[in-house]
Amino acid sequence: MCGFPFYPHSNRSVILNQTDVCLLRELERGLPLVPAPFEEIGKRLDLNGDEVVKRIRHLKEAGIIRKLRARIDQRKVGISANALVAWKKTQTGDGDMGKLLAAFPSVTHCYERRSVPGRWEYTYYTVHHGYSQDQVLEEVRAVAEQTGCPDYLVLFSTREFKRVPNVRMRENEGNLT
Amino acid sequence: MSGPSLPDQTDLAILNALQDDLPLVSRPWKTIADRLNITEAEIICRMKNLEEAGIIRGISPVLESRSLGLNAATLVALHVPEERLDEIAAVISSYAEVSHNFQRDHYYSLWFTIAAQNEEGIQRVLHEILQQNGIPASDVLDLPTTKKIKINVRFSFLPAQQQECNFEPD
Repeated sequence: MCGFPFYPHSNRSVILNQTDVCLLRELERGLPLVPAPFEEIGKRLDLNGDEVVKRIRHLKEAGIIRKLRARIDQRKVGISANALVAWKKTQTGDGDMGKLLAAFPSVTHCYERRSVPGRWEYTYYTVHHGYSQDQVLEEVRAVAEQTGCPDYLVLFSTREFKRVPNVRMRENEGNLT
Repeated sequence: MSGPSLPDQTDLAILNALQDDLPLVSRPWKTIADRLNITEAEIICRMKNLEEAGIIRGISPVLESRSLGLNAATLVALHVPEERLDEIAAVISSYAEVSHNFQRDHYYSLWFTIAAQNEEGIQRVLHEILQQNGIPASDVLDLPTTKKIKINVRFSFLPAQQQECNFEPD
């Protein structure tokens, strides 16, 4: 089993018990594609299906699990274009630029970041996906126009070296045996 | 357009449905299948095929970063000579603290994210990466996250003939 402290030196506010840690690790491997997946996971943890569901519900209420969903390789379904767009803050004075950018349905991520003064003045970053680069460019242009943010840089990805959930039970922590 | 293994309409409907929060019931696939008017056996069979094809990478939880102690994150851009790209990218990807690592078409060609418990943790990893690869500070942009404004990865998969406006409103 995985009786192992999780983030032993962290200052996190929520304390997970050992069963929760094991459960999260099992869930992270992916739900088994059988009619009763929670029951199946329970077998590995000495819990029944109802107990597994109850614990997941508890982890959601505690703000640890946001949701359970499929991770999809969108490029294999034709959504092959991915752009990171860097935006410079404009002095339009019409409110929060980050919120304006984030409001677009085509924006999957929107972050505010520190700039590198004198070398890199962009402070807002959005991520866009599409079936083609042209489609993405068209969308980015529309976003720029509608938000009045003309100063941006489109960075298309040309190769993916790594893409895993940014929050996960780390691969180098704990023994997964 | 995308070859012979293109998912059909039912597959796309399944992919769209599986991006929603999974119902916490004993037979969740059946609940989704009922909604899509197919049988539980069919949805499971199709999900297995989609997973085998690498389209579904697993059905797993989205975890909240702060509650798990990850309080700091950054995006780093490196200017890397073309001939060293693969080698340097491999070193970077080997770090658990790195979740995303992409080549992008820019002078700064390698873009990756680091998440850690705090700023010091980030700087430790970054420093190590730069030192290991002999990358001078002038070839580095360190862009720490000051605010997460939106994270909502949800694709609306459409049949080939409708692939124009492919995103759903929130």
